[in-house]
Amino acid sequence: MRKSSSRSPFGWSNHNGTVTVIEAPIARSYRRRAVIAFWVTSAVVGLLAATVASHYLHPILGALAGVAFGVVLGAVVFALIVAWPVLRVFWHWLPEILLGLAVVYGWVALMQSTPLWLSLLIVALVVGVPAAIGPVRRRVMSWAWCLIVRHRLRLCFAAFIATNRHGSLPLILLARPTPAGERVWVWLRPGLSLRDLEADGQVQKLAVACWANEVRVMRASRKYAALVRVDITRREPLAHTIVSPLPDYVPADIPSNAPTSPGMPPVGLDLPEVPDQPVTVPADAPRPRKPRNPTTDTASPSGFDPSDYA
Amino acid sequence: MDLTDTLELPTNPGPSDTVPVGAGLSIFDPVFLGIDEFGQPVYLPMIYRNILIGGEPGSGKSSLLNTIVGHAALCADVRLCLLDGKQVELGLWEDACDVFVGPDIHHAIRTLYRVQTVMDNRYTFLKARRRRKIGPDDLFGQILVACDEIAYFSATAGDEKTQKLFAALLRDIVARGRAVGIIVAAATQRPSSDIIPTSLRDLFAWRFAGRCTTDVSSDIVLGHGWAARGFSSNTVDPNNHGAGYLIAEGGIPALVKAAYLTDTDIIRVADYATWTRRHTGTLTTDNASPARAAA
Repeated sequence: MRKSSSRSPFGWSNHNGTVTVIEAPIARSYRRRAVIAFWVTSAVVGLLAATVASHYLHPILGALAGVAFGVVLGAVVFALIVAWPVLRVFWHWLPEILLGLAVVYGWVALMQSTPLWLSLLIVALVVGVPAAIGPVRRRVMSWAWCLIVRHRLRLCFAAFIATNRHGSLPLILLARPTPAGERVWVWLRPGLSLRDLEADGQVQKLAVACWANEVRVMRASRKYAALVRVDITRREPLAHTIVSPLPDYVPADIPSNAPTSPGMPPVGLDLPEVPDQPVTVPADAPRPRKPRNPTTDTASPSGFDPSDYA
Repeated sequence: MDLTDTLELPTNPGPSDTVPVGAGLSIFDPVFLGIDEFGQPVYLPMIYRNILIGGEPGSGKSSLLNTIVGHAALCADVRLCLLDGKQVELGLWEDACDVFVGPDIHHAIRTLYRVQTVMDNRYTFLKARRRRKIGPDDLFGQILVACDEIAYFSATAGDEKTQKLFAALLRDIVARGRAVGIIVAAATQRPSSDIIPTSLRDLFAWRFAGRCTTDVSSDIVLGHGWAARGFSSNTVDPNNHGAGYLIAEGGIPALVKAAYLTDTDIIRVADYATWTRRHTGTLTTDNASPARAAA
């Protein structure tokens, strides 16, 4: 990514077409889209506004007012679309920005209203108490992981999951903590399918990028193929032994059951007690058949054997 | 007063003085299997279903099989038919079951022939009654055919002819047995095509894959393509016995941890099952009336 000396606020330069924040094709595509949106919005809104305004004003004045209104609204839409790549970044980082603002303003407000020792004490309590209580700390950490995972997944989608021609990425919806890690719902855009996420090694790459043990993707809805669930596993929730409840059905006072089989004498339990006998091989041993398909004969390096699925 | 009378009374109350009360379970109740990764209990409906359990040695296959057999043993209306080439995995249930087959392929084949005959007779009976499948309060009970280390019978013991016969009989029971209440639970380490025929493997509706050494082994148990979607039991911790992927209702593998029965627990449950079955005449070894005498 080349840095340009003459930067526009939205990330591209008008002179050389060099790109700073947003890649050139995407920037051009956004500008084209913005121009189209400007004309469409101007025309539709202008026509509607002119029709409405003509009821109250002289028709020519009304038409002029409508055109002016349409152009203004078109310009707003144009600006929004052109600025969208930057606005999107703000939207993606909104929780962090709000959190940061809350911390800064909260600290300033606290310092102004209380003496220093009291402010420090309050901060220590607000930070220390949740950090000291295990369940609260784990809950906070799991929500923090949800924020982190959304950013990591976005990075993965941009970096190595194939996107469509417009460069639009899958929409990352809700992220929720689970006992094993996180679960994220994703809405796939046109041009993507679950198969792209399941392609060879993609979920392993996702797991690496999310700093997780493993990642699983599956459909989240029987109705929409676009709604996909991503399960990120970073903990082992099944480490403890699960005791079967079946013995609870047994009453305490049952008579003991004497073994019905006769006791077996401990004979032949070691190697010297078992004599070396000749092995009788059946005479009609089957001939080794010639494989019908010679290509399956060679073992693949991954241990994949097509005949297992025959 | 005679002294012997007073001496005899407290010494031996004996099983004959007490009336055994069954556990009240039914094979129509789902079997408690363990918990899933969200800590929720997992129940597996076994009636009208079959399950294939795979995984490397020590991955908890036999433990899961024992849980299923234990549930069935506490059901008064289920007969147990256990095949175990290793003898000790299901051997603790020997007194509670109707047929126990050790490392004897001919006995195994004879047993499967018996089950097949029962199945045919039941279908004839159902047809005569203009019905299509059995229900919870039927004239006859259900039969659980549990086979641990299926590879012993289908690939190791005997000659090729008997192995093929065994596989064909088992396939027939798996394919046709469900509507007449014959349930098959089979465990093996790696159900690849050289161990059991794929035509038999693909008939099992429920699958449990304990830890496997490769993604391919996991796919062989669960079905092709699950490893690519992130469901590979290769990722299960080898020290986490009983954890694995279960395909049951919903069709998507779920990470579950199977419940564990200690040997003491198994012996207690098996003794209780034996006791209740002897008294209600469920066990064929006592030549008593058929299964529904318990009801």
